[in-house]
Amino acid sequence: MTPSAPAAAAPRPAARRRGRWGTAAPYLFVLPAVLLFAAFKLYPIGWSFLLSLHRTVGGTETFVGADNYARLADDPLFWTALRNTGVILVVQVPLMLALATGLAVALDSTLLRGRPVFRLGFFLPMVTGLVAYGIVFSVLLNEEYGLVNWLFGLVGIDPVPWLTEGLWARISLGLALTWHYTGYNAVILLARLQTIPAELYDAAAVDGAGALNAFRHVTLPGLRPALLLTTVLSTIGTLQLFDEPYVLTGGGPDNATLTIGVYLYQNAFKYFDFGYASAVAYALTVLVGVLGLIQFRLLGEKS
Amino acid sequence: MTDQQSGRQPGRRQVLRGGSALAAAGLGGLGLTGLTTLTGCSGSGDTGAGGSGAAGDPRKGKITVWSWQGPAEQLKALIPEFNKTYPDIQVTVEDIGNPAIWDKITAGLAAGGQGLADVLHIGVDYLPGYVERFPGGLADLAPLGAPAHKDAFASGLWQTVSPDGKRVNALPWEANSAGFYYRADLFEKAGVDVGALQTWDETIEAGKRLKARTGVHLLGIDKPASQPDAANFFQMLLQLQGAFYFDLEGRITLDSPEAVRAMTLIKTMNDAGLVSNLAGGWNALMSSLKRGTAAVLPWPTWFGGIIEEQVPGEAGKWKVRLPPAVRRGGPTAATVNSTHLAIAGSSKQQAAAWSFVEFALTRPASQVRIYRGKGIAPALLKAYDDSVFHEPSAFFSGQRKGEIFLDALKAPGSAVNYTADYARALKLVTDAQSKVLLKGADPAKVLGEAASELARQTGRKNVR
Repeated sequence: MTPSAPAAAAPRPAARRRGRWGTAAPYLFVLPAVLLFAAFKLYPIGWSFLLSLHRTVGGTETFVGADNYARLADDPLFWTALRNTGVILVVQVPLMLALATGLAVALDSTLLRGRPVFRLGFFLPMVTGLVAYGIVFSVLLNEEYGLVNWLFGLVGIDPVPWLTEGLWARISLGLALTWHYTGYNAVILLARLQTIPAELYDAAAVDGAGALNAFRHVTLPGLRPALLLTTVLSTIGTLQLFDEPYVLTGGGPDNATLTIGVYLYQNAFKYFDFGYASAVAYALTVLVGVLGLIQFRLLGEKS
Repeated sequence: MTDQQSGRQPGRRQVLRGGSALAAAGLGGLGLTGLTTLTGCSGSGDTGAGGSGAAGDPRKGKITVWSWQGPAEQLKALIPEFNKTYPDIQVTVEDIGNPAIWDKITAGLAAGGQGLADVLHIGVDYLPGYVERFPGGLADLAPLGAPAHKDAFASGLWQTVSPDGKRVNALPWEANSAGFYYRADLFEKAGVDVGALQTWDETIEAGKRLKARTGVHLLGIDKPASQPDAANFFQMLLQLQGAFYFDLEGRITLDSPEAVRAMTLIKTMNDAGLVSNLAGGWNALMSSLKRGTAAVLPWPTWFGGIIEEQVPGEAGKWKVRLPPAVRRGGPTAATVNSTHLAIAGSSKQQAAAWSFVEFALTRPASQVRIYRGKGIAPALLKAYDDSVFHEPSAFFSGQRKGEIFLDALKAPGSAVNYTADYARALKLVTDAQSKVLLKGADPAKVLGEAASELARQTGRKNVR
């Protein structure tokens, strides 16, 4: 007779399964992520706050308290950057989201053949490298050699100073952003659209609602959470906008496309004024936080 | 929420330039908090070696050199000769491109010398900033033997590389004097004797005749300032008066009478319709050159080589002279910029790097070779003994171009104090110039505002 299997192999009651490491296990599992987060996010965040209270004088950091923040308040270039960023936020983001909503509805329509192809096509710009597409746009929009002006020339339209005149530079930037992000937002909206129950549309049709009314009273309310998400994300993205203006215009001409991100970069890496750049970063953080809260209030679910 | 989820991904990027990688990383948002951080760039000057003493073997090692376009090509061509003398030093020259190189050096210095090349090609506009903001980031060349060459270079340049007379931050390579390249054939058609023009006021009058007779602009400026060098012409007019953005004590002189005078000349030209718009920077300048939209290129010594390269078919139509004076009888010579080779403080091969720098910059034969290749004018005075600087140039209508600029180099010049805040000053100047050229603003007013703003941003005093 063989002895029965050792007790260890027997299933133990749950309460006894917690050994010495039992309670610590979850913490151990999250430890790597926490460590990485602390090293690569928390540390720079804390460090840049310290930096924002300092000024580099003759190669050494001098503590100056809130001086850098006081400088911000009456720095005309900072306000220019803020205004430019605000304009993009107020003009480009709503237009893009309206376009994305229309696109989502179109891509959801059963009348459209080859929907996956279209969905992929509209989403693809999102996966192109930011700098790569920035350069492609700058080549397309080059005043003298660009494809766009060449095509305009064929139909007898004068060349447009896409990147060298303030207003046009802003328009070019808006076009590039719209091309890049509309499809991405449309995909988010589309995902939400597909969760709206068909019964609601049937009920609306029974009540005699046309396509427009159905859109107004069924589609839009249904899209609300996704619209909130895309609005908040686009706001944050816009406030941090850097790559496109950096590659397309460098913030010019005459600061017409200077965004807070580009201004921060100039202060840090052109003027070596890391303290001031950090202050710009913190001002931006506060701004993002405030705007995010407002949007949640306005668009959030009413409890 | 992570970067990757946000509507405008600030996360992973293929970044063109090393420098922007750092910057871009700093712009990686934190989802909802949207926090932008400066990836721990301390800027505290913790830059490793600190450049004390020589590192490594002066006859052996592997070194990397960072430069840009033409100069990089010339340094590459020098390697075989260098290896005859130093067979055990392996040199790699990398063409980083300009202005990309500044971001890349800045990022490297900010990261305590991580990833920097051993030898760095640095313009006079960046050198003081690097030295002041990143102490020890560039090696002190004095212990390596630099002071032996103190008197070998054009006057004023030693002060640029060794402000305190003890520490040597770099060795001078190029010395560029203000120049005035012009299409002699067009001026002839307009009945103007360019050689007789003494002042810029006279030049503007000549420009009006030129425009009326030939339809060609006098010169071009990047009016919206798409590149920082849009202010080159303004800066030249300033330096022809012995003035600059800062005085030798580092005080701000942005709205000095000289500066207002220079900007007023530019406004007068522009109002008379004599200035073509080079919006877009370098590419616009090149296409303007090829299409002949302006008769004068008020660019320094090195630009002659560019003209020959870009429009070889126009040989014999071009001439060069020193620029007219701003005030009658005033100076016509100004050293408008210089470039230098420095050695990274973090380099483990400082001695071998120094061997290369010394070979390239203090040996006349090296400099002559570089001048033949690209028209880069040496700061090394001994190089000018070579016949190449005294030969008539077929392209420039048989003129002895080298001698014209040599005269300018030998003329007494005033030292220029770029300070560590040059980049900020330049930004304000280009903005002010854009307002004058695009919106017709008043020169005295915009320069006054720029000077006040610069004082506020830098804590420097204004001279008024």
